[in-house]
Amino acid sequence: MLISMPDGSRRVLSRSEARIEEIVKDLGINPEEVIVAKNGRIVPDDETAGGSDQLKIVRFVHGG
Amino acid sequence: MKEDYSSMRGEMLGDGNRGRYARQILLFGEEGQKKLKSTRVLIAGAGGLGSAIAFYMAAAGFGRIRIVDCDVVELSNLNRQILHAQADLGRAKALSAYDSLAGINPEIEVEAVVERISEENVDDLLQGCDMIMDGMDSFPSRYLLNRAALKRAIPLFHGAISGYQGQATTIIPGKTACLSCLFPRAPPPATAPAIGSTCGVIGSIEVTEAIKYVTGKGRLLKNRLMLWDGLEGCLEEVSYEPSPYCRECRGLGRDA
Ligand SMILES: [Zn+2]
Repeated sequence: MLISMPDGSRRVLSRSEARIEEIVKDLGINPEEVIVAKNGRIVPDDETAGGSDQLKIVRFVHGG
Repeated sequence: MKEDYSSMRGEMLGDGNRGRYARQILLFGEEGQKKLKSTRVLIAGAGGLGSAIAFYMAAAGFGRIRIVDCDVVELSNLNRQILHAQADLGRAKALSAYDSLAGINPEIEVEAVVERISEENVDDLLQGCDMIMDGMDSFPSRYLLNRAALKRAIPLFHGAISGYQGQATTIIPGKTACLSCLFPRAPPPATAPAIGSTCGVIGSIEVTEAIKYVTGKGRLLKNRLMLWDGLEGCLEEVSYEPSPYCRECRGLGRDA
């Protein structure tokens, strides 16, 4: 899996198919602070990812 | 307490107006300009985002602008909240906004409302409004706007910032996912760092979307979240779709 982290850095991760929420937690990120795009499309974090999926983890903002 | 200030000069699109808007009439014609003039917008918030939004909407000639904010101007606002000046310290932001907007374009109608947007007053505040501009600083208040937009079937132009980062998208009830589909959970509350130029980028995108919507030009940010990272100098988009689990819009019909 190719993972784009909230700070813009990239990581290659090999692991078996898992819930996106778990993958995000394992990367040390609080799932409540991010939304995740799988292959360019935002998906609920109970969806799974693995193999050659590309994940983009976005720390969305709330200020105005 | 509600204070309404109105200026009703320049009702018709006369020659003077043609002069003022000449450069944008090149884009969408007198027809488009008339549509802007007959559009009533609610600008929710007169802070950093609301400042950029309000300035550009007033200058563009959106005919009726209702701007709502319950706070007063503080010194720490002035690095980004360009509606307000040093002399406005301690004044209600909505009233300071009124003066700035009436100054930049006396031909539009501006209403300033000094209130906190809540479940109780949101219906009143949206009376007659054709669209909602998001200049809020928290997700609970954005969810309130989202719900009101769905209920009234009017678009919500979303934007938010933190530091060098920002995001924007366009919610059209009946056609797109809603804000709760995209952000089912509010992030933990925190004071966001802020610079004026990021508010400028995101507020400008929201206004561009509103102009496109009214004049029927271009491709709106429908089901697309635009992400701005000023530190990287990078603008990206990710797509999203209506959530079958959405607590707000599940069951509402969509036709595109
Ligand atoms: Zn929804």
